[in-house]
Amino acid sequence: MAKLAVKKEHLKMSSVLDWLLMLLIFGVLTLIINTFSYKNSIVESIPGMLILIGITFVGLLLAKLIPLKIPAIIYISVIALVISLPVFGPVSEFVYTSTNKISTLGLCTVILAYSGVAIGKSWAEFKKMGWRGIVVTLCVILGTFLGSALVAQLVLKMQGII
Amino acid sequence: MSTQATAPAKDKVCWKEYKLHIAVLVIILLAELVIRKQTLTFSNDLYGSLSIGFQPFVFAMLLGLIAYLAKPIKWVKEEESEAASGTMLIFIGPLLAKLAVASGYSINEILAVGPAMLLQEFGNIGTMIIALPVALLLGFKREAVGMTHSIGREQNMGLIIDRYGFDSNETRGVLMIYIIGTVIGSVVIGPLTGILANVLPISPLAYAMATGVGSAGMTAASLSTLIDMFPQFETQMSAYSSMSNLLTQVDGIYMSILIGLPLCNLLYKVLEPTLGRITKTGRRNAELAKAEAEKAKEAE
Repeated sequence: MAKLAVKKEHLKMSSVLDWLLMLLIFGVLTLIINTFSYKNSIVESIPGMLILIGITFVGLLLAKLIPLKIPAIIYISVIALVISLPVFGPVSEFVYTSTNKISTLGLCTVILAYSGVAIGKSWAEFKKMGWRGIVVTLCVILGTFLGSALVAQLVLKMQGII
Repeated sequence: MSTQATAPAKDKVCWKEYKLHIAVLVIILLAELVIRKQTLTFSNDLYGSLSIGFQPFVFAMLLGLIAYLAKPIKWVKEEESEAASGTMLIFIGPLLAKLAVASGYSINEILAVGPAMLLQEFGNIGTMIIALPVALLLGFKREAVGMTHSIGREQNMGLIIDRYGFDSNETRGVLMIYIIGTVIGSVVIGPLTGILANVLPISPLAYAMATGVGSAGMTAASLSTLIDMFPQFETQMSAYSSMSNLLTQVDGIYMSILIGLPLCNLLYKVLEPTLGRITKTGRRNAELAKAEAEKAKEAE
């Protein structure tokens, strides 16, 4: 715990630079896919990409600077949500239309390509797990997803929304 | 555990790992432009036909793993894998931001479905309802509680280690789900979503709410499959998914502490004496556990 608090105070310049450059690399890779595979104009996609990268960067910074145990992904989601609220009129409209030019599927491809390489490390451990563990894991994933979907379906039906 | 695992990767300067980024560029181009989307169709006179789509991201992930595992490919090895796991924390950001923009933009629609959004969080009980009986039939004992009380991501792992200790059976169980889930989770949940959306009469909007399972990778894979199948609902589904993911991030751990774990323990007590003794492995492991408990008592 003590260690964590100390870390938050010393925000290293080198890691901030690393985030920025990483996000730029990510942006370029995604724009390539977004243009060639999802057929969005590259010029129209750049503002959206910059917005997404900017929000992520600010979220990462806040998570480091604010001495609370809140993960960066929560800051990122909340910032993005707030700036696109309809009360902000043209700003919200601009954020929404420009980020809409970035394909969600394309973002996913890039993220999961990195994640595939990252998973490599866990492969040796994974191989030791045995089929029983795999069967239970599949049931866990199925149960979590289906359980929530059924409840959502039921309530949406009761509300008369679907 | 999770902080230990990520600590060395964080200190690394990831952007300089040019080999990794070039490898990823090749992988995404292959996945998106060469392999593209593949659809498997099963048809049967009795039940009609079922199509499962495999989106490019599934192949991107498999290619990433293959690049690491294949011996002849020396370009992507331990160092790159280490850096890649460091990048995950950062790269999930732009995706979550994009989904959250949809949430903010359609906030009125989200408020309208507020009750469904909040209540579906309790749907996580479905995890143990489906998985605990299966785990017991397969012969797992106390491990089963660690395995099936939740989806078994970082937060849940922390909770189980905290509650039962690092060397406990429960921790062994949750670690197993964590490791297997890390490797197969995102690959499996895409096609799984596709099958369920094909087979069950559940609205895509309800599925979208269910995509906030507690792992950003799985959320992304599941939602992308839905967007691919129902492009007309893209904004609405992204909005629901993002909100549900945010809720799970905030309340997930409390759901586990207050509901998931106690309920799973209760269900274990009720089901283990019957379901846990049906199979041979179940009976054998029950005896082993009994012998172990007696030994521990004697030692005291």
